[in-house]
Amino acid sequence: MTLSRSFRLSPLVAGIIVAVLQTGVIGYMVESRAAILRNGADIRLKTSPVDPRDLLRGDYVILSYPISTISKSIVTGDIAPDGTRTRLSVRLKPDASGLWNATEARFADMAPEDGSVILRTLPIVFNTYGAGEMPDTLFVQYGLERYYVPEGEGRALENARNAEELEVEARVSHDGTPQIARLLLRGEPVYDEPLY
Amino acid sequence: MYRSWLERDLKAWTGQGLIDTQTAMLLLKEYDSRPSSFSAGRVLMVVAALLFAAAVLLLLAANWDVIPRLARLAAILGIIWGAYLGGAALMARGAERLAAAFLVLGSLSFGGAIALVGQMYHLSGDALHAALVWFGGTVVAAVLFRSGAVTVVAGFLAFGVAGTDWTQSYSADQMLLLWLMPLMAVIVIALARYTDAGRARHLGYLLLVAWLAFIYSEYSTATTAIAIVVFGAVAYLTAALPPSPLHAIARSAGAAPAFYAYLVLMLSLVVLHVEFDAEGERLAVGIVTLGAAIAGIALSGKENGAVRYLGYVAFAVETLYLASETIGSIIGTSGFFLVSGLVVAVIAWAVIALERRLASTEDKAEA
Repeated sequence: MTLSRSFRLSPLVAGIIVAVLQTGVIGYMVESRAAILRNGADIRLKTSPVDPRDLLRGDYVILSYPISTISKSIVTGDIAPDGTRTRLSVRLKPDASGLWNATEARFADMAPEDGSVILRTLPIVFNTYGAGEMPDTLFVQYGLERYYVPEGEGRALENARNAEELEVEARVSHDGTPQIARLLLRGEPVYDEPLY
Repeated sequence: MYRSWLERDLKAWTGQGLIDTQTAMLLLKEYDSRPSSFSAGRVLMVVAALLFAAAVLLLLAANWDVIPRLARLAAILGIIWGAYLGGAALMARGAERLAAAFLVLGSLSFGGAIALVGQMYHLSGDALHAALVWFGGTVVAAVLFRSGAVTVVAGFLAFGVAGTDWTQSYSADQMLLLWLMPLMAVIVIALARYTDAGRARHLGYLLLVAWLAFIYSEYSTATTAIAIVVFGAVAYLTAALPPSPLHAIARSAGAAPAFYAYLVLMLSLVVLHVEFDAEGERLAVGIVTLGAAIAGIALSGKENGAVRYLGYVAFAVETLYLASETIGSIIGTSGFFLVSGLVVAVIAWAVIALERRLASTEDKAEA
């Protein structure tokens, strides 16, 4: 042990390497989001009411969207085998009022199409429990479900969300990852997200 | 604690005139000067690091509107840099204990930074992913600084990663833990060896035990339980039998490999008792358990106190269990307590005799 002890890296070098690496990780987290906000495709989403028991955990508002519920009728292609952990691709198209809705969902990659944006869901464990066919609806998440707000401001947003007056503008990267760009209350921007 | 035992023994030995007071003082002084020895100061220093990390993170999180987002980011990165560079400077000056506290502060702040950035930028991503990144960053810090204290943090984080995946029932990846848990356990044990963090290795072994429990919880069948019994038995024999090729490596890691393998064997035998209902089957399981208890005492009794005591306990509990299952219903409650008393007395006598024999063979070996 005494011999191998002498191979210890100089503490200063170790400190710099570790600090640089960990700063890199944090920087990557920040920058990958900023890149999506800078270059991503714009979409506007309606939010849906959330079960009151889920209200304001900590200082974030839980957001749910009509596109979080995938109905059986829009699913194309083969469904995943039971018990697999998988992601879905969901194609969104805008309606007349500028809100984007899910028009097609697939358990595989989708070809891009003009006038539509493809979102990737977070992984879900898909299970039909032996039925072998799509359930009527499937609940998915996109990574847009939490919005942290200053203490005490969550309640107003939740009331608006439950009155269906809250909309979210998001930007979507090429690989289908969305980030929240701003929140709209009755059509007026309330939280505009700076890049950094 | 070992120190107070040592102090008491030294006092007794000076009283009996075996050593003089000066030698006793020198021995105590030598023990206190060991860097790895337990000291309240060392523990309190790490606790202070924990509290400090929590305080700074809460301060940043609470003053949401007052501090601009980029300033918050700079502050948290500043803490990370300060902790690691401060730890490095202290290490270079030989202040190992304070350095350890700084490094613990650094690795905890890294986790805090991940959480805070996730919160500031509304990244509602994968909690498992975040936990894994935290674990990875901490492992790198433990390796590069060769720090035992950071190894302990990494050991706890390994449990955190497993717990995060396990509680994400909605999107949990069942297959992931099956290979991730043993991998993290191996990393923690290797780190503990590399950094000389003796006690941290228990976290690695416990993670392996938890992994086997997880396998059983996922596939709760008698076959799984039997497979784990066989695995525990083979692992124990590999670690404990001198002809085994792995014996030397296991011995160099102390009593832990044989003990934890034996613990897995015993716990899985407990599970088998639940799996098998029929009387004949339970009797067979009981006989196997008694055999395993005796085998453990016979094979490792001399060199491994932990296995020996677990063997005693298993033997006593199993005997009482078998007695209650077989003759318990015939002789009534008071009769059963009488028989239990007799059985325990006989076992106690056997244990005392065995301990005496072990002690006398040790004396002979030393003489």
